[in-house]
Amino acid sequence: MAMATGRHAGASAHHTVEGTDPGLNVQTFEPEDAAALPPVLLIHGFASSVALNWVQSGWVPALLDAGRRVIAVDLPGHGLSAAPEDVDSYSPSRIRADLLQIATDAGARPLVAGHPDSGLDVIGYSLGSRLAWEFGATQPTLVRRLVLGGPSSHDPLAEFDLAAAQRFLADGTPIADGSTSALVTMALASPESDMYALLSLVEAVKEEPFDAAEAVPRQPILIVAGEKDERAAGIEALRGLVPQAEVLLIPGRNHINAVTARAFKQAAIEFLAA
Amino acid sequence: MAEIPFPLPDLGEGLIEATVLEWLVAEGDQVERNQPLVEVETTKSALELPSPQSGKVLKVHGAPGDVIKVGDPLVVFEVPDDTAGIVGTVPREEAPKRRVRLSANLDDD
Repeated sequence: MAMATGRHAGASAHHTVEGTDPGLNVQTFEPEDAAALPPVLLIHGFASSVALNWVQSGWVPALLDAGRRVIAVDLPGHGLSAAPEDVDSYSPSRIRADLLQIATDAGARPLVAGHPDSGLDVIGYSLGSRLAWEFGATQPTLVRRLVLGGPSSHDPLAEFDLAAAQRFLADGTPIADGSTSALVTMALASPESDMYALLSLVEAVKEEPFDAAEAVPRQPILIVAGEKDERAAGIEALRGLVPQAEVLLIPGRNHINAVTARAFKQAAIEFLAA
Repeated sequence: MAEIPFPLPDLGEGLIEATVLEWLVAEGDQVERNQPLVEVETTKSALELPSPQSGKVLKVHGAPGDVIKVGDPLVVFEVPDDTAGIVGTVPREEAPKRRVRLSANLDDD
């Protein structure tokens, strides 16, 4: 079994986007027995990281066991990535451009008929699903299949009460909005993330909120969420846009603990093996 | 045959306990080293614990929803005596290192 022995090969090449190095931590993992399938790009959620969302949760070992090459990236201000001070570094469009460069540098190549290992499969969770949705929609010649975990049809970050969060951090004034309060609690619990970088990300997301209908991915899609994930209610709205999508709800799981579910991993691995 | 207990390892970040989400092995199963044993959830995240060794799962502690304290028994393995001798030479202070192995991929660059 490959399991956790996948080595950190690093990016094989390195290019800046529009002259700026985003300083993102990229980790690639090579399987012992590679399947004739494209690499898998993993995009983690808000206040998470490659380590939390994908390694400690068992995703990377499971994908390596399935013979998949893995490209994983810490979002700006998260994990081992840099936390720039300018808000533009956190804009979803900027992040998507960086992901495209990173995937290309890591060896992903556009889809070519008859070449089963061409293209790129993408798995996103939470905010990472939003980025994966847009990435798939805007990169149809590269992205082959999409797995969207814990997605929202609207944007919980766009509704975030930034002023209330800043007051709370400055002097402890309680946050009235439940969703904002929950996100701040999550961010404070995240050992690796930089709180001010996370707020910059929120600010950037508010400038570019998720509009699922604006760009719709046409690839085969698997949507997975915990049955108790309050965002799962929005899945039907997404499905209205992507009727080709398969949907899997994990019994008993919520937004936080659906990530590790074996049923999620198995479904994703089978879906991406097609 | 010898019995080797595997307590809930130190999960870092000052965490003192974890809740069992789902067992990925059953009593009587033969497991390989690094094979996923159980999914647990802490106050910070959900994670999958890989087996620290090969052997037969003699006993699992905690049903889904149960809280296990760090250091309390999680799994008891049964291994041949000769293997146990080798494992037995590893000092107990090794336990925290198992936590490092969960994220070893991050640390070897």
